[in-house]
Amino acid sequence: MRKLFTLFLFLAAILSFGYAQVKTVTGTVKDSGSLFVLPGVTVSASSGQNTQTDAAGRFTIEANATDSLTFRFIGYTAQSVTVGNQTNLNVFLISDDQALEEVVVIGYGTQKKADLTGAISSIKADEIAKQPALSAMQSVQGKVAGLNIVASDAPGSSPNVIIRGLGTALSGRNPLYIVDGMPVADINNINPTDIESMDVLKDASSASIYGLRAANGVVIITTKKGKAGFLRINYESYSGIKNILNPVKMANGSQYATYVSENLAAINAGYQIQSTGQPYDTDWYDEILKTGTVFNNAVSLSGGSEAVDYFLSFNNFTENGLLEGAKFKRNVIRNNNTYKFLEGRLKFNQTLNLTFTDNKIKPNGAFNTAYRQTPLSPVWYPNGRAGRPILNAQTGLIDYESGDIRVLNSIGNPVYDISRYNELQKSTTLQGGFEGEFRITDYLKVNSRVGATKYWTRGRSFQDIRDAYLNESPTQTEAEFERLRAQNPASASFAYNRLNLQQEETFRWIWENFLTFQKSFGKHNLDATLGMSREEFGIGNRTALTGYDLPAQEQYWNLLHVSGQYPRTVDQREFTHRALASYFARAQYNFDSRYYLTGTVRRDGSSVFRASGEYWGTFPSFGAGWTISNEKFMQNASWVNLLKLRGNWGVLGNQDIPLNISQIIVSPGTDGGAGINNNNYVLGPSQELVYGASFGTPAIPLTWEKTYETGFGVDFGFLNNQLTGSIDYYHKMNRNTILDVTPTLNSPFSQNFYAHGAKVLNQGIEALVSWNKAVNDNFNYNVSVNYSYNKNEVTEVVPAYDGGIGGSLANGEITKQLRVGQPIYAWWMWETEGVWQNTGEIAAGATPGAALPGYLRYKDQNEDGAIDNRDKVFFGSFIPTSTYGINIGMNYKAFDFSVYGYGVAGNKIYNALKGTRINGGENITEDTFNERWTASNPSNTNPGAARDTYASSYYLESGSYFRINNATLGYTFNKLYSENSKLRIYFSAQNPLMFTKYSGVSPEISGVSSSNNQDDARPAGTAGVELSAYPTTRNFLFGLNLTF
Amino acid sequence: MKLKTLNIALLIAAGFLFQGCTKDFLNVPSKEIVEADDSNEVYQPETFINGVYGMFTDWNYGFAYLGITEIISDNADKGSSATDTGTDKDILDALTYTSTTPSFASTWEHWYKSIGRATQAIEYTENFGLTDEVYKNRLIGEARFLRALNYFFLVRGWGDVTIQDVDLIQRQSTAAVYAYIEADLQFAIEHLPLKSAYEAKDLGRATKGAAQGLLAKVFLYQSKWQDAVNMAQTVLNSGEYSLEPDYATIWRATTDNGRESLFEFQARGEEIAHGIQQYSQTQGARGESGWGWGFNIPSQNLLDAFNAEGDEIRKNATIIFPGETLWDGRRVSPNVENPMYNEKAYSSANAGAGDTDKNIRYLRLGEIYLILAEAANETGNSQLALQNLNIIRSRVNLPAVTVTDQVQLRQAIWKERRLELAFEHDRWFDLVRTRQGEAAMRAAGKNFQERNYIFPIPDRQLIQTPEMTQNTGW
Repeated sequence: MRKLFTLFLFLAAILSFGYAQVKTVTGTVKDSGSLFVLPGVTVSASSGQNTQTDAAGRFTIEANATDSLTFRFIGYTAQSVTVGNQTNLNVFLISDDQALEEVVVIGYGTQKKADLTGAISSIKADEIAKQPALSAMQSVQGKVAGLNIVASDAPGSSPNVIIRGLGTALSGRNPLYIVDGMPVADINNINPTDIESMDVLKDASSASIYGLRAANGVVIITTKKGKAGFLRINYESYSGIKNILNPVKMANGSQYATYVSENLAAINAGYQIQSTGQPYDTDWYDEILKTGTVFNNAVSLSGGSEAVDYFLSFNNFTENGLLEGAKFKRNVIRNNNTYKFLEGRLKFNQTLNLTFTDNKIKPNGAFNTAYRQTPLSPVWYPNGRAGRPILNAQTGLIDYESGDIRVLNSIGNPVYDISRYNELQKSTTLQGGFEGEFRITDYLKVNSRVGATKYWTRGRSFQDIRDAYLNESPTQTEAEFERLRAQNPASASFAYNRLNLQQEETFRWIWENFLTFQKSFGKHNLDATLGMSREEFGIGNRTALTGYDLPAQEQYWNLLHVSGQYPRTVDQREFTHRALASYFARAQYNFDSRYYLTGTVRRDGSSVFRASGEYWGTFPSFGAGWTISNEKFMQNASWVNLLKLRGNWGVLGNQDIPLNISQIIVSPGTDGGAGINNNNYVLGPSQELVYGASFGTPAIPLTWEKTYETGFGVDFGFLNNQLTGSIDYYHKMNRNTILDVTPTLNSPFSQNFYAHGAKVLNQGIEALVSWNKAVNDNFNYNVSVNYSYNKNEVTEVVPAYDGGIGGSLANGEITKQLRVGQPIYAWWMWETEGVWQNTGEIAAGATPGAALPGYLRYKDQNEDGAIDNRDKVFFGSFIPTSTYGINIGMNYKAFDFSVYGYGVAGNKIYNALKGTRINGGENITEDTFNERWTASNPSNTNPGAARDTYASSYYLESGSYFRINNATLGYTFNKLYSENSKLRIYFSAQNPLMFTKYSGVSPEISGVSSSNNQDDARPAGTAGVELSAYPTTRNFLFGLNLTF
Repeated sequence: MKLKTLNIALLIAAGFLFQGCTKDFLNVPSKEIVEADDSNEVYQPETFINGVYGMFTDWNYGFAYLGITEIISDNADKGSSATDTGTDKDILDALTYTSTTPSFASTWEHWYKSIGRATQAIEYTENFGLTDEVYKNRLIGEARFLRALNYFFLVRGWGDVTIQDVDLIQRQSTAAVYAYIEADLQFAIEHLPLKSAYEAKDLGRATKGAAQGLLAKVFLYQSKWQDAVNMAQTVLNSGEYSLEPDYATIWRATTDNGRESLFEFQARGEEIAHGIQQYSQTQGARGESGWGWGFNIPSQNLLDAFNAEGDEIRKNATIIFPGETLWDGRRVSPNVENPMYNEKAYSSANAGAGDTDKNIRYLRLGEIYLILAEAANETGNSQLALQNLNIIRSRVNLPAVTVTDQVQLRQAIWKERRLELAFEHDRWFDLVRTRQGEAAMRAAGKNFQERNYIFPIPDRQLIQTPEMTQNTGW
């Protein structure tokens, strides 16, 4: 048969010779990555000739000019080249990303996925590209088990990322991001389509190579590089619209009037609001929300030769937010080049990423005020002034011109607030690195790299104080303002306007050297790494400048034009940088790809521990694996492709801790008033300021937060690897969590201090199962489900440090407490047990203040007849116990379709929008109106219009939700212009559907405030409290991707 | 190959040799926070003394203090909007407070922190090496006066309290705390200059007269009647003080540190402003034309007391009524939210500002007369009592009291204290001291129980130091 076939080929060749000019083509085939020559590659001409490359990768074949030559090799993607007039061809083949040969980046090296002993999740470029977003971290939400990503849709914001539970209270909570070997603060400056792969090091044995910064996990980003032999131009574009996903229906004017009047009657206010005949009925959300838009364009150019590989890309991302005028723009230029010498033995990689952002910020507080402001207030009065909730108490109608006026609440006018808010932030990030790699022998190489990031940001905010005064009330006049201004010449409250400028620059650098040894001795395979690292980060300074009374036109907004009447203030500070010095070693051994052992040790020194002088810490870890499927006894189980057990143990550190310093507290120069400083005083007949001082709390030396982690896992692949997955268990204990401790109340010192005071345990399970099936050449599909469960518990607290409170609602109420046996900063408040129905019940029961019928009834847990802090109980955590993702994808001919779903469960969200009220004149939702208690229609669940403002379990709601994160339909046109050119067009719906019982705007609350202060998202901060969160948006995108 | 091996060896050696330098590399001092030892400024002891005074400008005096001295009493109601609890002012007003009521914890903590600062300032001053003994003792005297003042707050509120120098858990008897206060004040009296002996720039510091006046009051609280008489007379005879002729001006900026003033918490409203944080704002009129939050408002019970006495001058100097035109010409809208406001907290120049020029009058000569009158009456010297009581009454055009019966005269003096010192943060402690609490508070419609005679030890303190005992009834 075979001879017959050869004969046939021979005949065919002769025949073809007769038809065309046949010539001899020679060339070499190499691996596009390593540039190693590839022997044994099958080369076939379309006219029928066939050959294989020799040991030097060379081939010779007879072919026509019109022929195309196809190169095939196991583990590599086949490639075709048209002969044309060439007689010498150099071909570079790209290795396949086969699931089991998949290579993951593990920090100072790579490893075959099959050889891992730890839990590492890898996400490839196409997965990231399928969910377009500003930050790649948002794109991977729901795709990795054990990664809890809380995204915010505010333009320019970065998501909160928690890997395997939260073990720290004050220290850094974010994972360590490593981009092309360099640690960075976040990856918002990186164009997601420039990312080749993202590897998440979840367990201790993988992460401990990054030692004392790895306690929160490590995310390794590798950006794209050019590949030898292929010039590729890629153009990507999408644009779309954004709307609020889960709008809340507010009460209308008439409902509002009824509701508030009930309250006014209950408290004997002596006036009412008419529910009919009101001049205005404003829907504030309608007024402030507009359709946002997003535009993204990216072009990249990549290719390479024997000497140089190059990748060059440009990206523009523009988003117009939901609030009028909010706009975020980002431009990114990336250039990654590789220079090769000595036949690839010496390589230099250079990466350079330049990012410019331009952010016009509008106040997210408007989402809060739009919820609260009464619908009875106009947006604008006929005289052009901002509408205010001013009522004529005699008529009960909105009218500011009568004598007997009442202000219904102290909430702002969100439309005015947005229109007059003027803040700009611009930043430039320059990030890059240079790495040399020298292959000394075929088993030993040495790498040396330097990397740096420079960041500049400038902010400007302008406030028109006079305009704000005039719009405070429609009756306030310019003359009145001028009079007050003349009366208070020194008070900046009556300056015309105020300009605040801020500049910040930061710098970080790293220098690392490491040796890699890789050799097999028979069935023994050894891979070892040894290296050192030096790093400094947080080098920089910040300047803030304020001046008053500039010309109103924007071009004059610089401090040159401020008035001398008011003091200019300058606040400049240099940051204390951190320095890290490290040595690390790792050995990975396997016998016959069956038994695996990994040992890692890292010794780190951090400047943060200067106070104690104990700079150094050692972080060991071990991992072991057994690939059962490679055992002889499994040979007959052909349906099992992979079965592997893994186990690991390790110690991880967290050095991102606050500085503890014994200090003398003073406030020289800028006093700032009593509000921020109780050291200074005034003395003498004219009460001149005298500067005072006091002693701060003596500092306790701090050391690393050390997390001990143990984990087990199993990886499997069945039925031709159609069914793959993994299951992991982990037990992760932070043995010395740092707490912010309040000194005993009756002790001399007042400053809080930091001390190691608690143990926090995270235990969990992660599971991932995928089913891939190619039904036929035209149709394949995959379904993948991931689930992770995490239990968080504070297992021990130093007695005097227990009971730290948090979760402030900014109205004097707190909602969280740190307590042994509970999740870290668990919800802690009164338990609601009904509604007071009448005064008799109230008189017989316990209330925290003077209650009225319709008030919520709180459970007197200790039955002492009073409701106080001792009656507060715990209600679980703001952190979900379960997160899960469901991903479905299919390809039919040129169509592709995918759906990504994401959900969380087991957490609670405090609906502070609903709960916190100040004057009682705030608006409510339509549901709150309909369900409220009234004397004639009593409810024992929902409070009446007259109610108190205490935090209670009534406002604590389930934070569970399931959301379709993305549904995409695409169509690909192949071979448009050449063999490799193609065009894919797609339509994506992001967040088209969400299922939740939560009654607020969004159950996905990062807790980062409108000022984008990451500290707010601390466990003790407003994480899980909805107050003025940016709503989740529903986006519809249309995009195209052109490659040629 | 040999060369390569050498290269590797060099590289590794370079890396590890570097460890020798890591000590310098890792030694990164803070650029933002000045370490106590590193401060290039040699702090003068006076700076730390100033820091003790600075505690008077804290927010606790602007809000929590109002709650536990006035709102809690029959003089004042919570005020503000019905729904605005002011954290806990509603439950203080209703006497339904418990050990977890935040205002107790924050004032308790604040007074202990003030004491801590005073003690540290004393130690620093003693060890600094000042050669001017008079100056050194003056500074220590100031700090000891301030420490006594703060312990006096604690002992009046909570009875047996811990003394920082002794122990942080074991509560000391009220008598021991008073002994500690007396020792501090005696030192202060011995070493502090008279008000007139200070340089002008030091106006507002603790004086000999302030220490004597405070000691007279401390004696009064301990029923050391004759000591109180003597000490009050020492103040009166010092020639340093005299009554303001017009009662209405006592709480105005024009009489700051004036002739009647023994001790005030200082505040400046002008830029660079440094007042008592929001003291005027929290108590300012609320609503239309208002300038504040409207807390701590005069009660109907107090108004009735003024009216019953026919005491128009003090009534109008103490209470702002809706629709009234104030002395500085400001018109208060008739539509403000509450029926009355505290005029003694009103700052004309910076009404609603966070920092106002309102000095809190802590101790003034008017009260010294009343201390003298009360103590004299208790010693049986009704003539001396009447003489001093009527000095106060004649200033506000009220007829002289003539009753000489000790019990009736005592009641008259107590009533006089209420009207004279209304909203001067003394009423509640007077009710407790004179055991009038139950009768007075019940008359004001509040459910006063025996345990209300003493504040609960804050729950937060007991969480930190569980071995500390709680007061009876809490």
